[in-house]
Amino acid sequence: MAIKAQLFITCLAEQFFPDVLKRMVGLLERLGVDVAFPEEQTCCGQPFFNTGCRAQARDVAARWLRVFGGTDGFIVSPSGSCVDMVRHHYPELFPPGSAEHRLAAEVASRTFELTQFLVNQLRVTDVGARFPAKVAYHASCHLLRGLKAREEPKALLRAVKGLELVPLPGEETCCGFGGAFSVIYPEVSRAMMEAKVRSIASSGAEVVAIGDAGCIMNIAGGLRRAGSPVRAVHLIEVLTS
Amino acid sequence: MRQAPNAIDFRVNSQRVPPGMPAAVQKATAKFLGNRAAVVEALGDGTWQALRQAGHDIRLHAIRHLDHYLEQAERAVAAAGGQVHWARDAAQARSILLDIAARNGVALAVKAKSMATEEIGLNHALQGAGIRVLETDLGEYIVQLKGVGPAHIVVPAFHLSKEEIASLFREKLGVEAPAEAEKLTEIARARLREEFLSAGLGISGGNFLVAETGTIVTVTNEGNGRMCTTVPPVHVAVVGIDKVVPDWESLTVLLKLLARSATGQKLSCYTQFITGPPRSRGETGPREMHLILLDNGRSSILETPECRETLLCIRCGACLNVCPVYNHVGGYAYGYPISGPTGAIFAGQILGPAVAGSLPFASTLCGACDDICPVKVPITRILLHLRQRVVEGDEAHPATAPLSLRLGARMGAAALRSTALYRLASALLKRLQAPFARGGWMARLPAPLSRWTLSRPFPAFGADFRRWWRDRPGGAGKEGRNAPGA
Amino acid sequence: MRRAREEILGQLRAARDRPGPPPGPVPATALVGSRLPGDPQAELALLLKEIEGLKGVTRRIAGAENLGAALAELVGQEGVKRATCWRTPEMGAWGVAPALEALGVEIVPADADKHLVASCELGVTGVDAALPETGTLVLTSSPERPRLASLLPRVHLALLRPEVLRPDLHQVFAESREAGYVVLVTGPSRTADIELTLTLGVHGPKSLHVWVMEPG
Repeated sequence: MAIKAQLFITCLAEQFFPDVLKRMVGLLERLGVDVAFPEEQTCCGQPFFNTGCRAQARDVAARWLRVFGGTDGFIVSPSGSCVDMVRHHYPELFPPGSAEHRLAAEVASRTFELTQFLVNQLRVTDVGARFPAKVAYHASCHLLRGLKAREEPKALLRAVKGLELVPLPGEETCCGFGGAFSVIYPEVSRAMMEAKVRSIASSGAEVVAIGDAGCIMNIAGGLRRAGSPVRAVHLIEVLTS
Repeated sequence: MRQAPNAIDFRVNSQRVPPGMPAAVQKATAKFLGNRAAVVEALGDGTWQALRQAGHDIRLHAIRHLDHYLEQAERAVAAAGGQVHWARDAAQARSILLDIAARNGVALAVKAKSMATEEIGLNHALQGAGIRVLETDLGEYIVQLKGVGPAHIVVPAFHLSKEEIASLFREKLGVEAPAEAEKLTEIARARLREEFLSAGLGISGGNFLVAETGTIVTVTNEGNGRMCTTVPPVHVAVVGIDKVVPDWESLTVLLKLLARSATGQKLSCYTQFITGPPRSRGETGPREMHLILLDNGRSSILETPECRETLLCIRCGACLNVCPVYNHVGGYAYGYPISGPTGAIFAGQILGPAVAGSLPFASTLCGACDDICPVKVPITRILLHLRQRVVEGDEAHPATAPLSLRLGARMGAAALRSTALYRLASALLKRLQAPFARGGWMARLPAPLSRWTLSRPFPAFGADFRRWWRDRPGGAGKEGRNAPGA
Repeated sequence: MRRAREEILGQLRAARDRPGPPPGPVPATALVGSRLPGDPQAELALLLKEIEGLKGVTRRIAGAENLGAALAELVGQEGVKRATCWRTPEMGAWGVAPALEALGVEIVPADADKHLVASCELGVTGVDAALPETGTLVLTSSPERPRLASLLPRVHLALLRPEVLRPDLHQVFAESREAGYVVLVTGPSRTADIELTLTLGVHGPKSLHVWVMEPG
C-alpha cells in the first residue's frame, strides 16, 4: 500500500517558485509516494495570523481545514513556516473542545514539512541527487525553531553526491524577512538581510540552500541587488539534481 | 494610526540608529553569548533545561498567586523591621520616596542600577525636589553624565567608546581623564566613594523579593549595590511586584540561571540578601529600610492569561543579546529603559497599544528569544497576542491599527476564501507586473511594496503549477478529496 | 496608601480567578541541578582554582602560628596602615587583630565613623560558607561580622576553615534561612561597562585574598 501525500503547495511557492513544487512532485513520486493535489487550497492564513488579524486567520484556516480535512494520507509542504502554522497555531485558533479544534489537531498531526517527511516518515536521507558545488545552508527560523528541524535538511544535503556543505557563519540567524516585517520596518529588514548576504559571501559557497520561500525571496533578492554570483535556491532544487 | 502623541515610533527610531551602534551592539552581545554558551555547555544541556523548567514553574507559581505572596512578603519584611509601602503607579512611587527623603532631610541620594526606578522617572523627580541623585553603576553613571538612558539593561553604556567616556569625564567632572578603561574606572570609583559616604539615602531595586522571608536580593558585579544598601543611613528598595519568589530555597534555581544567562558568569560578584535593616544594635548597616512595592500596570498584565508570563522575566538580557533586530538597532530604538524582546512585550503592555503599539511588530518572530530565555517566557506567543490587540483590540483595549490595515486584511481573506478569486488575482498580478518585471524580478514597485524594493528586487509572479498539474501526462484529475472506494 | 494596597491586591485577586493553569503548591526545587559532595581536598583545590580564575589571590596557612608572617607580607605589599576586622571568636583565636597591631597597623572598629572605616586599606573577615564550583564566599552579618569590613577597604582578606566548604548553593540556602543578611562574594569587584573591557576594583574591594586556615 503506497504512502499517500496531499500537496500543500503554499501561496508563496505557488506564486514565485512553481518550479520548486514541480520538483517536489517528481521527487515524491520517484520515492514511491502517491501524490494528490487538493485543488481548492489557497493559503494557510499565516500572514493574517502574524500581523494580528486573527479573525481573518481563523476564517482562512477554517477553509484550509475544510479543504484538507476531507483528504487522507500525509499532507506535505515545502515550507517550514506554513507547516508550523498548521501544526502549532491552528489548534490555538479554535476553542478547545470545538469540532474545528478537533479537526485542526487531527490534520496537524499528519502535516509535515518536506525534509521532515523525507527523513522521519519515509526514512530516506539519500534521494539519489548529484550536485557538485560548495553549498551553504541557511536555517529558516520556523523550520529550525518552530518545527525543530535542525538535522533533517542537513542530513539530506550531506547525502548529495559531490556536494560540499560549507559552514555558514550565523547559519541560524534570521535573514530579516519576517513576512510583513520586511515592509513594516524595511530599514531593519534590510540591515538583517545585508548581514546575511555578507555571511554568505564570506562562506565561499556557490549556492545557498534554503527551506522556506519567504527567506528565498529575501536572500535571493539581496544577493541579486548586491551583484553576487551566489545562487539562493530551495533545498529541493539541490535534492532533485 | 490612532496613536497617542507620545507614541513610540519604532520605524523612525530604527531610521535614526547612530552609524556606530550596530557594530557596538554586536560586539557586546557576541561576547555575552559566547560566555553564556560556554557555561551552559559546562553545566550540561540536561541540567540547563531542568533548571529552565524549574525556574519557569517557580516564577509562574509566584505570579499566579501574587496577592498571597505579596501579603506574605509584607508581613515578613515588617517582622524583620522594614517598612513596606504600596505604589499603584509611578506617581505614587515617586511621592512615597520623596516623602521618605524629605522626612530624613536627604540632600544626596546614591542609586544602584534599577530598571524599576528608570520606569518611574525617579531621578527627575528627586532632582525636581532639590535632591542630588547619583547613579552608581558605572554604566548608568556614564549615561547619566551624558544625559541619556541605558542602551542595554546589563551594560547601559556599551555603545560609548572609551574616548567618548574620557571626554565626558573631562567635561562633566573637570578631571584629567585618559581614554583607558582602568583609569576611567578608577576615577569613577574615587568620585563615587565620597558620594556613597556622604549620601543620606541609598536607593536600590531588587532582582528578587522572597515572600517567605521578606528578603530583597540584589545582584551586582561592581559592589555599588552593597554600597547603596549598606552605607547610607536610609535604604529604600523599589521593587516591581512581579519580582516575587515564593520561598527562600527557590532562589537557588534562579541564581543558577541569572548570571549565566546574562553575562556567562557562574555567579555575579556580589549577590546580596537583605532581610530588613540590621536586627542587632552594633551591627553596621542602614538604620531604616523601606520597600516600595510597585504595580504600575503589572497587575493589568496578569489579567490576560496569554500574556501573564511576561512577568516571569528575571532581567538577564539574554533575549536582547540574541535578538537579530536588537542587534541592528540597539536599545534606544525601543523608547523604553527595558528594550529587546522582553522590553517589547513589557512596555507593549505597561504603556498600552496607543503608545507602544509599534513594539510588538518590531520582531520577525524568529524565536531565538524563546529558546534562550532562562525561565521560558513564551515571548513570540505574547508578541503575537499583542499584535492582535493592536489590530483587533480586546475588552480592555480598543484597536489602534489603521483602518486601512483591517480593511485590507478583510479583503485579502475574502479573496483567499475563494479558489476562483485567488486564481484570478494571481493571473491579474502576472499581467499587471509586465511593465515592472525584468528577468524574473521587479526592481521597483509602487507603495507599499516600494519599501521592499528599496533594498532588493521583488520576484516576478509566475504561478503555473495548477496548469502543469492538470496537463501532466497521467496525472490529470488526481483529486485530494476521498474518491469513492479510496 | 492603604487604598493603593487594596486596589493592587484586589486586581490581583480578580486576575487569579481568570482561566489559566490551576493553582498548585510551590514547585519543589528538589535540588535541581545540584552538585554532589566530593573529596574534601579536591573541593578545596577547586575552590582555590576558581578564586584565582576570578583574579583573587589564594594561600594556605598551615597553622595559625604562621598567620603573622603572611600578614606581614600582605601589609607590606599593600601598604596597609589601617585595617578593620571581624570580631568573631575564631578571629580572636587566630589572633588577627593583635598580629596586625604588632605590624603597626591601626585597627579601626567597624562601627567607627564611616569615613575612617573607608580609609582602611585592609578588611579582614572570616567566611561562613564557601562554594567550590563558583569560587564563592558566603558572609553573614552581625555585630561581630560587620558588613563594611568586606566592602569598604581596598583589600579584602578572607580567612576560611576547610570545614565551611559546601557542595552546592542548595546547602548554603538550607543553612541560612534565618540569617538577616547574607552576601555571596565571587571574586574582587569588577565591571565590563566600558567597551566590554574587564576592569577590577570598582566600588567593592579591588583585591580579594582568600587564605585557608589549616591545622599546623
